[in-house]
Amino acid sequence: MKRTSAVIPVKDGDRYLEELLAALAGEGVEEILVIDSGSRDRSLEIARAAHVELLEIDPREFAHGRTRNLAAERTSGELICFLTQDATPCPGWLAAYREAFALDERVGAAYGPHLPRPDTSPMIARELTEFFSGFSPDGRPVVQRAGGETFLSNVNACYRRTCWEEIRFRDVAYSEDQAFGSDMLEAGWSKVYQPSAAVLHAHDYGAVEFMRRYFDEYRGLHESTGHVEPFAPAGAVRHVASAVAADRRWMAERDLDSLQKARWTARATVHHGGRRVFSALGSRAEKLPPTLRAGLSLEGRGGVAGESNTGTVGGEPAEGTGGGEQTVPALPSTTHVDTKIAHDDYDVCVRVASNGAAPLLDPVEGMADRERLRLAMVIPPFSRGSGGHNTLFQIFSRLERRGHACSVWLSDFHGYMRAVWPAVMRHDIREFFAPFEGPVYRDFGSWQGADVAIATGWQTVHESLLLDNCRARAYVVNDHEPEFFATSTERGLAEDTYRHNLHCIAASPWLRDVLIERYGASADAFELGADHETYWPRPVERRQDTVVYYARHTTPRRAVPIGLMALSELKRRRPDTRVVLFGADSPLHAAFPYEHLGVLTPEQLSHLYSQATVGLCLSLTNFSLMPKEMMACGLPCVELSGVSAESIFGADGPLELAPLDPQRIADALEQLLDDRDRWERRSREGIQFVASHTWERATDEVEAGLRHALRQRERATAATS
Amino acid sequence: MDVAGLDNRLPEIEAENERLRTRVAALETELVDVQHRTNTAVAQFQERVYWLDRWHVDLNALMRRRGASEFRATLRAVRSVGRAYKRLRRSMGSS
Repeated sequence: MKRTSAVIPVKDGDRYLEELLAALAGEGVEEILVIDSGSRDRSLEIARAAHVELLEIDPREFAHGRTRNLAAERTSGELICFLTQDATPCPGWLAAYREAFALDERVGAAYGPHLPRPDTSPMIARELTEFFSGFSPDGRPVVQRAGGETFLSNVNACYRRTCWEEIRFRDVAYSEDQAFGSDMLEAGWSKVYQPSAAVLHAHDYGAVEFMRRYFDEYRGLHESTGHVEPFAPAGAVRHVASAVAADRRWMAERDLDSLQKARWTARATVHHGGRRVFSALGSRAEKLPPTLRAGLSLEGRGGVAGESNTGTVGGEPAEGTGGGEQTVPALPSTTHVDTKIAHDDYDVCVRVASNGAAPLLDPVEGMADRERLRLAMVIPPFSRGSGGHNTLFQIFSRLERRGHACSVWLSDFHGYMRAVWPAVMRHDIREFFAPFEGPVYRDFGSWQGADVAIATGWQTVHESLLLDNCRARAYVVNDHEPEFFATSTERGLAEDTYRHNLHCIAASPWLRDVLIERYGASADAFELGADHETYWPRPVERRQDTVVYYARHTTPRRAVPIGLMALSELKRRRPDTRVVLFGADSPLHAAFPYEHLGVLTPEQLSHLYSQATVGLCLSLTNFSLMPKEMMACGLPCVELSGVSAESIFGADGPLELAPLDPQRIADALEQLLDDRDRWERRSREGIQFVASHTWERATDEVEAGLRHALRQRERATAATS
Repeated sequence: MDVAGLDNRLPEIEAENERLRTRVAALETELVDVQHRTNTAVAQFQERVYWLDRWHVDLNALMRRRGASEFRATLRAVRSVGRAYKRLRRSMGSS
């Protein structure tokens, strides 16, 4: 394999080509490939005379990215240099590139400055010099990594073959180098700006040609990166004035005479003004009519991105594609859609699938039994009234009060809470749920590690798996969330969360068994508590005719259509029954009259439960807090049988159970309304049953689960050592 | 292998292990303490900047804007003039 190859795409480039090829030979480049796309000047003759490899392609096949990939495939050097036909390497160019690649084996590309030729106009000369000196103020090579500068220019660049093979130039009409620069950094490569690898280079266009070139450049930049150049008239005027002033300073430093200064000042004004306008137009080219696009483009390109292969050259049908025989069916015109988001919503899930979870720290002997732990809870977005978050913060605030160092981290890949800043989020948590005293973070930029990272919903698991510096990970599972979705990406991802070996702490024995039996997960269970300071039988008169129903229709698992049919049947049988619906902001359409109460505070709920005769609360998945809160207020409650309630209350416990059948649910409600003894028994047993179901007890169970997760890590390590 | 020699050193090794275990436990406790203090500091800071966050005001970004430093300097100058005026009035009132 040769050490170095150089590739020069050429079209009518005879002006500097001879000088360029001689300079490359002088630098000791072992393999030179000229790839010509239809030159009509002396370019081919010069290339042949220089005895370099020559590849001729159809001009219609040319695209900056595609053609360079083709050229790179034809060469064999470990380093592949790309130059344009008007860039002449300065002495020491190749040695400087070799020095750049020796800095680090992950340097995938290097690029050097473009020095102005002696006859370059002052504005271009100044811009080039200032632009490149900005990359390295002290004149030494600079390594640029992910998150840093992405600029890369194929006017004068050199690539490590392995990097090019992995990344390759995108098949874009323009700015393939810029796209490569950002792609390679994202893939973990770095690049080097090498000030000593200079070329003499300038585009000596007339004023109008310059503008058309800027149109093409910004159009290409938009097509490859989505960049839209901002334009505001006042800002443009300010910019032009300041650029012209800088040009005049540059001219003064170089002792240009007054006449030259006046001439170049006028030209600079046109140049900078035209550049602002044409760059803005170029980045919005898809909104212009094709004829105008072609007219403004120096390359005469009238099509939009992706059309470079359709045989349109210079806005006219290319040779061989025109004529009367139209074989391609006409398609409706396309609409260009800009990049709208920085990354895909479920990018984090793909990263876990591709790279796996971040490794856990080695366990420390006895860590599971340490009195105080560092706990980091990762939560999904929330709003007032979120039952799952209430459970989490009831428990987490108690863990905090037990001395554990607790922090909360939001995982929000849809960006639902992007407008809520951290201090506000913390305030809302304290107001909506529980008095949590620790910090709340909106992203993972300040991640500090933890003894246990706790995922708390399917949206948080993949993010938690990527967190490093953890001793263990656990998953507080409030419900079997795949059942929240129809067949969908979300359902698949939610199911996936149970298969990552996180120790699960499930919010009921039923849910624990689902996780173990269906997914093979390791799981403990905890039982939801009731806040007995809020929910207790208030000293108010209890009515004998009132059914209260938690009709949260926005939550499909609440089976609201079935509940409404059951109440309709009950009203048919007992027209005098008073029905009260709560839990939804707006009244529902029902086939019977009822009273609507909206969303209530805990205090209001407690009073409602203390006044009502029977409660109705249905759940098609895991059991929720609400029936326990009803029972704590002495209100007998009807729930669905055959799902999760039996795992907590038994088949004939304090809860009245009915199958998913409106008639049977109406039967259960009617029995409690009509049979006083039955009502008394359910009410009494309910109060007794939930008396021991406290948040302190739930916290004990969750804490035991977290310690179990740590203990599993200790055991696993002991078994392998 | 000198098994007898190893046997003789066993109590010494066990004592060293015990010392290391104690040290690890102390470091773990220290780590939790540091984390706890960090959490408290960040939480107190979040408590303090609540209204700034509610109104989406990033004072650092605001002060980086052109003219911000000059505006602040002007305010300070105005305040110092105000203070000087008050001092003058006080001194005139007391004399």
